[in-house]
Amino acid sequence: MMFATACREALGVPALAMAATFVAFGAAVQAAGLGWGWALASALLVYGMPGQMVLLGALGAPGGALPAVAGAVAANARFLPMAVALAPWLGGGRRRFLALPFIAVTPWAMAMRRLPGLPTEQRLSWFLGFGLTSWVVAGLATMLGYAIAPRLEIWMLAALLFVNPLYFGVILAGDAVQPLVRRAVLLGVVAAPLTFVLPTAWALLGAGVVGGTLAFLWGELGRR
Amino acid sequence: MAADDLALGLLVLACAAMRAAGLVVAGRLRPDHPFVRWAASVAIATLAAFVILAVAAPVGSLALIPWPARVAGFLAAMALFAWRRGLFLPVLGGFAVTLAVTRLL
Repeated sequence: MMFATACREALGVPALAMAATFVAFGAAVQAAGLGWGWALASALLVYGMPGQMVLLGALGAPGGALPAVAGAVAANARFLPMAVALAPWLGGGRRRFLALPFIAVTPWAMAMRRLPGLPTEQRLSWFLGFGLTSWVVAGLATMLGYAIAPRLEIWMLAALLFVNPLYFGVILAGDAVQPLVRRAVLLGVVAAPLTFVLPTAWALLGAGVVGGTLAFLWGELGRR
Repeated sequence: MAADDLALGLLVLACAAMRAAGLVVAGRLRPDHPFVRWAASVAIATLAAFVILAVAAPVGSLALIPWPARVAGFLAAMALFAWRRGLFLPVLGGFAVTLAVTRLL
């Protein structure tokens, strides 16, 4: 049963990496004086850490809610290219929209590894199992972080947040055997300094669009 | 409705709209369609930029970790991956080195 297999896969290192980050987020929400309901809703319904952190940091700043929302939307704008890249692997029917709440970096990165090697009819089940498990872990970890926030030192919170880039760095290193991934990683790293000159809210996505487009064009030249 | 709740509600709607737009646009395309390959390149490049910035020039809470600890943790994770592959050992080892160097400094 592919759904159960995916649930088990999600409970390994992906769950640890996700839990560490969401524990830190829950603690940050508690420190900001917001309620546990806000923390849980943000974790499960936004389900994109950059946007969650940007919104949390911008609340209470001058200018009201709209600038905070705009910055958070820009920080999570990678959902669009991620969903585009994922959609063809989920089948053409309406059932693929069941995957909508679970499209986030961790399930996406693992799906881009696993789905190409699975039979077509098992791909959506795998993604739903992995995505739902990761989503539940994120919610539980947020509540744990909210509860233990007063006992955590600030450097420990920062270290927990650092698990996320470590985890994604290892995933990218493993996937770099594929030429498309290798080119995109290389040019994403080269384009990263653009974030220092682009508007803050759009900086990361801007660097990704520039690096990713150059990597795509490089690949297209190689195919001819 | 409080401003905090309104902001969260708007962000939830915007994130759902971006995910839905991607599923609608690309749901009928093949995985090797040029548009899908371009989107995958952009998403991977964005992730690579996020990782390298988190190590080399982070903002927010990550900046509280001293840079030698970030670099040592990241290099340890990469070295463990090159040695043993897998995910668990490299991530755990990188985290342990980050913590150890942070405490030493």
